[in-house]
Amino acid sequence: MKILIADDSRVMRQIVTRTLRQAGFGGHELVEAADGREAHDLAISEKPDLVLSDWNMPEMTGIEVLRALRAGGVNVPFGFVTSEGTDEMRQMAEQAGALFLITKPFTADNFTDVLGPILG
Amino acid sequence: MTSPTTDDLQAITEQVWLSYLDPEGINPFLPSEEAPGMPCVIAAVSVTGAWEGHVVMSFSEPASKLAASALMGMEDEEVTRDDIADAVGELVNVIGGNVKSLLPDGSLLSLPHVATIDEGVNKWPAAVEVCHLRGSWQNEPIAISVWTSKSTG
Repeated sequence: MKILIADDSRVMRQIVTRTLRQAGFGGHELVEAADGREAHDLAISEKPDLVLSDWNMPEMTGIEVLRALRAGGVNVPFGFVTSEGTDEMRQMAEQAGALFLITKPFTADNFTDVLGPILG
Repeated sequence: MTSPTTDDLQAITEQVWLSYLDPEGINPFLPSEEAPGMPCVIAAVSVTGAWEGHVVMSFSEPASKLAASALMGMEDEEVTRDDIADAVGELVNVIGGNVKSLLPDGSLLSLPHVATIDEGVNKWPAAVEVCHLRGSWQNEPIAISVWTSKSTG
């Protein structure tokens, strides 16, 4: 499977990559986006099987990316990996069509629990 | 309105250290009263909307480098200034996001701002400190503080 990791922090993209590996999902092809606009464009051009997106990013926020993708008919499975896990944001994420919201700080166990059913 | 407390900062910090900076539990963040002196690296996120203020982390320069190398899984000497800015910015983003979850709905978190301060003062205009946590990590000082704008505090 191809996974798009969108986060404006290179350090965090690296941590997400490392955590995917630690959670047993190391064999997947990874594509990275450094801001929301790039995430949106790569979600269309790269046709990933899953998007793991930060919420707070320059150019477009993660929720804007998700809404733009859905408005454009792109139904790629999409989940948030964000430091903000308020009920308000979880609701917004769900309403926009997100499958999950993983809060930072996360562990490999969190990834296993949430991504296991999706990545197999 | 309930404001974040030092105990909240302690709980959040413990989680961040266990997840990213000290997953093996070898080098925990130990509370102490020593604050980083100058020069130091400051990383801050602002909260606007229903609650207004700032979450600020300050690191001694060696602490900022240690944080970057731990987060990136690199040796200290390989770490660049950009790596440090990215790493401490992400740390304050994670801690700020968790602080924000204690604040009223309708608050917005900014992207992180990072600066190295060689001398002088670091001032937050019209803001008062709500709580702080000071500690040392691998014998280097790190402090975390939450500030609220006077008008909303």
